Amino acid sequence: MVSALYILAVGLGAAFLLGLLRDEWRAGAYGVSLAALACMSLISAGWVWVLASGDGSAVDITTAGTLPPYAINLRMGLAEAVLTLSINLTGLLSAVYLRDTMFNQGRRALAVLLIFTMAACGIVLTRDLFNLFVFFELVAIATGGLVLLSRDKRALAAGFKYLVASQVITILLLVGIIFAYHATGTLNIDGMAEVSSLVLKGGGLAFFLMFIAIVLDLKPFPANGWALDVYESAHPAFSAMLSAASGSAALFAADKLLLIGGSTWLPLATGIGIVGFVGANLFALAQRNDRRLLGYSSVAQIGLILAVIGQRDLLGDRYLFIAGGILLAHAVAKAGLYWLSGLIEGRTLTAWSALQGHPILIFAFASFIALLVGLPPFPGFYAKWELVIALAGEGRIALIGLILFGALLEAGYLFRWFGRALKRERAPEPVAVSSFKRAVILTAVAAGWGLGLIWGALSLNGNLLLAVPLLFAFGFLVLEPLSVQIKNSLAIAGLVAWFVLSLPSYDPLQLIFAAVMLIGGALILLASYQTQGRRIGFYPSAMLMYAGLAMLIVAEDAFGFFAAWESLTIGSYFLILRGQRSEPHALSYMVFSLAGAFLILAGFALAADGDPLFTLAGLKQVAAPLAPWVFLLLAIGFMTKTAAVGLHIWLPGAHAEAETDVSPMVSGILLKAGLFGLFVLFMAMGSQQLYGVELTHILLWIGALSALIGNLMAAFQEDAKRLLAYSSIGQMGYALFGLAMMNHLGWLMALMFVINHYIYKSMLFLSVGGVAKRTGTRDMYRMGGLITLMPLSFIAVLIGIIAMSGVPPLSGFGGRWIFYNAILTTDSRLPMILIFISGPIAFLYLFRLIHTIFLGQLKDEHRRIKEAPFWLVLPQMIFVACLMAFALVPGLALRRVDAYISQFHPEGALGWEGLTITSAFGYWSPISIMIVVGVIFASLFAWLVFVNRKAQKVKQFNIVFAGERPFRPETTHFAWNFFAPYRKALGFLTEPLVERFWAAIVDLLHASADLLRRLYTGNGQTYAIQLLAFVVVVYLLRTGL
Amino acid sequence: MAYIAMTTGFVLILIGLFGALTNRNILRMIVAFTVANTGVNLVMVAVGYMHGRTAPILDEAVPVAEAVARIIDPVPQALVLTAIVIGVGVTALMLAYVYKLYETKRTLDISAFKDLKW
Repeated sequence: MVSALYILAVGLGAAFLLGLLRDEWRAGAYGVSLAALACMSLISAGWVWVLASGDGSAVDITTAGTLPPYAINLRMGLAEAVLTLSINLTGLLSAVYLRDTMFNQGRRALAVLLIFTMAACGIVLTRDLFNLFVFFELVAIATGGLVLLSRDKRALAAGFKYLVASQVITILLLVGIIFAYHATGTLNIDGMAEVSSLVLKGGGLAFFLMFIAIVLDLKPFPANGWALDVYESAHPAFSAMLSAASGSAALFAADKLLLIGGSTWLPLATGIGIVGFVGANLFALAQRNDRRLLGYSSVAQIGLILAVIGQRDLLGDRYLFIAGGILLAHAVAKAGLYWLSGLIEGRTLTAWSALQGHPILIFAFASFIALLVGLPPFPGFYAKWELVIALAGEGRIALIGLILFGALLEAGYLFRWFGRALKRERAPEPVAVSSFKRAVILTAVAAGWGLGLIWGALSLNGNLLLAVPLLFAFGFLVLEPLSVQIKNSLAIAGLVAWFVLSLPSYDPLQLIFAAVMLIGGALILLASYQTQGRRIGFYPSAMLMYAGLAMLIVAEDAFGFFAAWESLTIGSYFLILRGQRSEPHALSYMVFSLAGAFLILAGFALAADGDPLFTLAGLKQVAAPLAPWVFLLLAIGFMTKTAAVGLHIWLPGAHAEAETDVSPMVSGILLKAGLFGLFVLFMAMGSQQLYGVELTHILLWIGALSALIGNLMAAFQEDAKRLLAYSSIGQMGYALFGLAMMNHLGWLMALMFVINHYIYKSMLFLSVGGVAKRTGTRDMYRMGGLITLMPLSFIAVLIGIIAMSGVPPLSGFGGRWIFYNAILTTDSRLPMILIFISGPIAFLYLFRLIHTIFLGQLKDEHRRIKEAPFWLVLPQMIFVACLMAFALVPGLALRRVDAYISQFHPEGALGWEGLTITSAFGYWSPISIMIVVGVIFASLFAWLVFVNRKAQKVKQFNIVFAGERPFRPETTHFAWNFFAPYRKALGFLTEPLVERFWAAIVDLLHASADLLRRLYTGNGQTYAIQLLAFVVVVYLLRTGL
Repeated sequence: MAYIAMTTGFVLILIGLFGALTNRNILRMIVAFTVANTGVNLVMVAVGYMHGRTAPILDEAVPVAEAVARIIDPVPQALVLTAIVIGVGVTALMLAYVYKLYETKRTLDISAFKDLKW
């Protein structure tokens, strides 16, 4: 193997060689530099290969043929190899990216770039403080030079501020080093670590100075204004190197120094790190400049890794996996994002809308954000999982809370940015067309996915990128050039095939959910045939969601469950974001969902007691003091998906603004993921008490309130899709109520709602979507009289609302019947009354759908409207058939589930003799009801036709407008504010209190971020003072004041 | 003797830092940093010698086995030299910056360069 020393030698040698070249030999100088960087990368890659495959072991390289402490030495181990590889590749790619700039600047700039890369490698390789100092100084000087590559004139001041800060750091570092030497007689890090008691006894201050100097090189929040200025103004290729390469190097240096300090100094590292992670992410919320935002994010990520380094005593042999996963994900993503920013002209976040129309670059953007946030299947996800589990195993709950809170803030501003880039009006300046730059960015994307694959393989849990459903979903990324028709057929075939393949292994409960999610998903996808073109981005997102759902219902361990949960969340986020005006709603969906996912993660971690392979069955064994907390965290997490009241504000916008065929997916199918989670939770943990309060009782109340508020809100909507969306909140409230009753019939009812809600909500969303497509509006008062023009849609809506309202003879009545039986057995009278009241309210809004859209007067502008497109109508008609079938023979689906539920609640099972279903309170015979209702309906209808046979048909122009010309349609239309009297009476219940509550929290975060970031005055001297103040404060905190 | 040198060194460091943090003129800041650097070098010389040890020459007088406890490590000496050299380099770079900064705004006041903030 080539000695690691050559990494330094090649870099240094090439830099000197550049000095000998003539100024005019631009291409030659550039070629030499690239060759040197490639050579350095190859050496590192060789070492990674050898050390990772286990063929070699870590090597110490001594200089001058003498052992330390008489000479300086380097070490090449696995961590060093990986880090130098990452540093060298960053340098190489940045050099490629900088091609044009370097041709202008010439060999001097190239030499500085080589020195920077070489020195960053040196920081990683060296084992003594002398060299550590030298390499740090080289990095600082090279930074001072490379900052000036930028076209931004302000970079000059930024570079100077950086140098001022590095002077202060140098002073601290040198004084610390020399006193540490005095205490131990050596400058070798390992030598010092052996006698660390000496350092810490006599030279605690000396170690502190060294350590804090290295920490300051990490640009710790909040003493880092100088670094942020550099990030903002430097050339993006250099900012990439600064964030990825020198950040990694400094982190490794901190790790090495902590060998000397030992475990007593670890909490300090954790403290500084986590403050940085949360603080920098908070400040980033208020950022408008993309590169400064990335700077804040860099500071935050490096803080997180420092915090992980501080926890290494409990991470054991998984330490490198966890810290490395987060570090490499950060390095790749941050470098990638900085490189991407170089293609964009404007410097605001909205300027990234220039990416629209460049699907590959958008894919790169999304990949980088997912890498940073730590979403599956990227390394940060595996690392986060093991980290949180390990922390919870040791009871470090506060740290978990801070990490997850910081991660949520970060996801919030990153996805806000992504949403703006995709949905705002496209920026006028085009994206730079440089094939070099694009190649560099795509290499980073490939590296990110490659790392995901490697980390999956190294993970103790399964490799997500090898899971068939996810592979299938990601496969659609490659198929993007194909037309919608082909991709849609493939998607449908995939869903059905996966269902059929997995069929034998499903238990009855899983079967119900799988049928709804996979077969149901395939049915809804039929509607997607009506779109034309290629529909870029739709299929990967949709299939990612379905893959997540498919994996969720069969997950056996907590990791698989959580990974599936996050996958379906990401997929559905991208799906929802596709809607025309869905930017803010997709964001709030994502934030709520991720917050919910983090609660689920925390809940699993608490339950797992340090075991990353924790199974869902293990939830049963969780013991008393912990169990209710686990229950609470998981339940709240799942309720973010079912949109229980309080956590529901994302739903109306997200569902209403989504595309026509997406609304039924995210409403009819996605919501069931939350219910499935609750099922799993309740089956495993039963009911739990916290401080004497029965938690399921609270859920009962939440369910009842959701039903009431959701229905009430729905009744007051003018927008048909919003109405349906609010109604979902109510419907999920019913299901939650049923589950929380914790008895046989309650659960059966919840399952009934799973099936029913899927069918009628998907059907209604499709028909209303079709109507909205034809009429060009979703406001119901702008429609009317469509019954003759869109008869099939009318039938679908009619059947849908009959089913949903729970009147005989359709399946909604079955649900109601089970429900009434169920509540007769419960003791909770008050929530029961709420649920009863919300029933009639449902009639109010359902009535409007049929009355305002299809009955009444046809609008003049709608005279030429046709029936909805075939592919929208077809699934609706299938749903009608399903509803009929399910109404006639509900036993087909429910019987086996009924038996299945008996394991958990033996009492209260229904009798299924013949076609009649019997309970303790009575019986229900679907077919006779159907016949009875059918006969009554037919005779009444016949009678109506008979008595009206001579009636004159009123045409629209038979009506006199009484000389009034309707000025604004909503003021004169009777269907506008239809339920005004009810609103007067009950409107106080629909005040958007919850929305205001969350908005206030968000405003508070933003306002404090905006206020506090003024700490960074921009004055280099103030920054230096802050630096020293930071040192003093940390010292005082460390010594306990 | 060593204490005098060390005390002087620390006094110089403090003077330097005080100067760098209170003078708004960039040139004065740089001069102050060089004062502080000199102080650091003085401290290193003062502290780098360990009492009762001998020069790092391995021969009969100092066998290799006992060397660790008996000789002065030569690396700190190299460290001082390197630190001086690097100090010169950084000072030169900062002076070049000052020149450029002065060209852009025609002032040497550090508080004039606040375009980047927050």
